[in-house]
Amino acid sequence: MTDTDIIVVGAGPAGSCAAIAAAKAGKRVVLIERGPFPGSKNMYGGVIYPRILDELIPDWFEHAPIQRWIVRRSTMLLSDTGALNIDYRSNAWGQAPYNGATAYRPDFDNWLAQQAVAAGAELICSTTVTGLLRDAQGRINGITTDRPDGDLTASVVIACDGVNSFIAKEAGLYKAVDASNYTLGVKETLSLPKSVIDERFGVRDNQGVDIEILGGTSGVNGGGFIYTNLDTIAVGVVLKLPKLSAQKKRPEEIIAELKRHPAIAPLIEGAEVIEYSAHLIPEAGLDMMPKMVADGLLVAGDAAALCLAAGIWLEGVNFAMASGMYAGQSAAQAMTAGNTTAAGLQTYTKKLNETFVLKDHKKLRKIPHLVLSDRVQHKYPGFVTGIVERMFRVENPHPKPGVRRILREERKKAGISLMDLVRDALTGLKGFG
Amino acid sequence: MTIAVCLKWINASGQTDIDDDRFMGFSYADQAALEYALRVAENTNDEVIVVTAGPVGAEAVLRDAIARGAQRAVRIDIDRSHDSAVIAQAIAQAVSHCSLIWCGDYSSDRGSGSVPAFIAAQLSFAQALGLVDIVLPTGAQSPITALRRLDGGRREQLEIRGQAVISVEGSTARLRRASLKGSMAANKQVIEIVTVNQVAVETPPTRAYRPRARAVAAPVGNSALDRVRQITDTSTAKGHGETVHLEPREAAELIVSKLREWGYQS
Ligand SMILES: Cc1cc2nc3c(=O)[nH]c(=O)nc-3n(C[C@H](O)[C@H](O)[C@H](O)COP(=O)(O)OP(=O)(O)OC[C@H]3O[C@@H](n4cnc5c(N)ncnc54)[C@H](O)[C@@H]3O)c2cc1C
Repeated sequence: MTDTDIIVVGAGPAGSCAAIAAAKAGKRVVLIERGPFPGSKNMYGGVIYPRILDELIPDWFEHAPIQRWIVRRSTMLLSDTGALNIDYRSNAWGQAPYNGATAYRPDFDNWLAQQAVAAGAELICSTTVTGLLRDAQGRINGITTDRPDGDLTASVVIACDGVNSFIAKEAGLYKAVDASNYTLGVKETLSLPKSVIDERFGVRDNQGVDIEILGGTSGVNGGGFIYTNLDTIAVGVVLKLPKLSAQKKRPEEIIAELKRHPAIAPLIEGAEVIEYSAHLIPEAGLDMMPKMVADGLLVAGDAAALCLAAGIWLEGVNFAMASGMYAGQSAAQAMTAGNTTAAGLQTYTKKLNETFVLKDHKKLRKIPHLVLSDRVQHKYPGFVTGIVERMFRVENPHPKPGVRRILREERKKAGISLMDLVRDALTGLKGFG
Repeated sequence: MTIAVCLKWINASGQTDIDDDRFMGFSYADQAALEYALRVAENTNDEVIVVTAGPVGAEAVLRDAIARGAQRAVRIDIDRSHDSAVIAQAIAQAVSHCSLIWCGDYSSDRGSGSVPAFIAAQLSFAQALGLVDIVLPTGAQSPITALRRLDGGRREQLEIRGQAVISVEGSTARLRRASLKGSMAANKQVIEIVTVNQVAVETPPTRAYRPRARAVAAPVGNSALDRVRQITDTSTAKGHGETVHLEPREAAELIVSKLREWGYQS
């Protein structure tokens, strides 16, 4: 007899959804979190797409601790002095069934974990899982923790311990770790009165704005973001690790430079930094994913590199919640069927393949590499803003130049060959499908 | 025998007015008190009972203490905003059968350290409050010896025998971690709930102190400045500030007569 049925490691979005799903299926679930409360150690940029919760918590939008509902989504291209902004607004996104929302992780993750407790899971905080237990046949049947008398046995362990999952590594599910598959995300939370944020971003009440930025990362390959909370703004950058260390730049200097950009500075003027945080992101998608199933073990969320980081999309929480939920359901099914070997747990991978979790990753497989490539990073922002600059600059008495001429000249100036441009355009078209 | 530990459910983040579940706990002083109680009980095989006065949420600190080794838990269902005397009376009723009552010297939210003293007074127990060093006895009959903090860096050495209320500073002991199995069992622990109906604690009526009025002659002078000076000028002595060398008894009499003369005493 095991101590419990299912152990979930990590009370982030993946872990809590796994615990909710398994508890709802009637299993005994222990959810273990190293922080003093769920979310206490977690950070991200700030936008969640919670529609996947419809299945687990149908009225989530009435209770989830949301800051603002995203009604404006912008993609910004920054050159040194210019900015091209493609901005879409839909106030309908601010009403049920909603789209994206900003939320603080110590609020959101704690709320989600409490849903797991309400569903019957047992939450144990301030406890770090330190290893896996195996039975005589070598199949995983529990965990060790840093607590006295801290071993716990179960039929299935679900690893939701986030990026760089040591559990998945200990279970031998990852290939050798390659630093170029990861980016470093750093973020400042800036405090401003709500009325000032409303005015500067053109929103009211609990409407919010999501700005994704290409360029403006001081020559280090990556991207930036700005999200609005009720009375704070999150400004951050995501930086490719090898480039960051090669260029010997400090991430906080790169944020400072982004904040000084003429298109960004007026948005955050007078704001006070109240928090600085940093975290790794598994960026390479499908190309870095581990095996997600072993005898007695499932891996979900960032632990399985399921974060979608494809330039204009930075979605990890929804992928974590979905994969966590499917893992919880599959673990419960496998237990009921009496087979928790890797074969018995295969419904999990099947489910991931059938849903957006792996479908999106397959569709967008080439995009992370494209977006982080040197050309897209260092040449295209200047090229595109250069074109727009010349199209809208009126230089009378000179007549307007033709668009084709501008294109040709700007392409030469940016040093992009026609071949590369066509190739990237095709990759982009195919990639975004 | 039973040893009691009093734990106050507080917001450890410093935002003392908000009960935010994420940050609730008990102070380092209360933690040290629990640790000592558990150590004593290990030697004596006494039962450790933990008590908190507060709402349902406060049961979390009791479960925490159970996970770390306490055997029984009592929650006194009472509004924490009552003053210390009322809280202490309610606690005293719940722990009157105990041999030792361990408390933190004061809670870290807005504690004044008065609850332990009130409990001791209620129960007519000895009190050893504000301890900075505690040596537990090795033999069953020997006393606990302790150092108590006094003003001005002084210390008082105490021997504690019999029924007593003991309050300790947070730095005196580090609370042990709970075992994982202990935490899981504590989640199922039954918590006894004591409801306090009518708490009547007499507090004498008080009013703000005001010295008696006395007549002051109007200042005389030709200019306004002269008259203002007469009232406010402190550069010339007016007979106050006299230094006398007397025996204590005569000194006291002189002070009383002066207070009377200046209108502070009738
Ligand atoms: C800068 C940045 C910006 C981002 N922006 C967004 C965004 O805007 N939108 C979005 O959807 N996603 C975003 N992401 C991605 C998102 O944060 C992650 O994909 C998501 O948090 C993954 O959830 P998870 O539950 O898998 O892992 P995590 O959220 O990392 O949770 C893992 C949990 O496990 C616990 N844990 C770890 N190890 C142990 C252990 N040994 N024992 C016990 N507990 C353990 C941790 O304390 C933590 O609570 C961003 C990430 C970064 C870094």
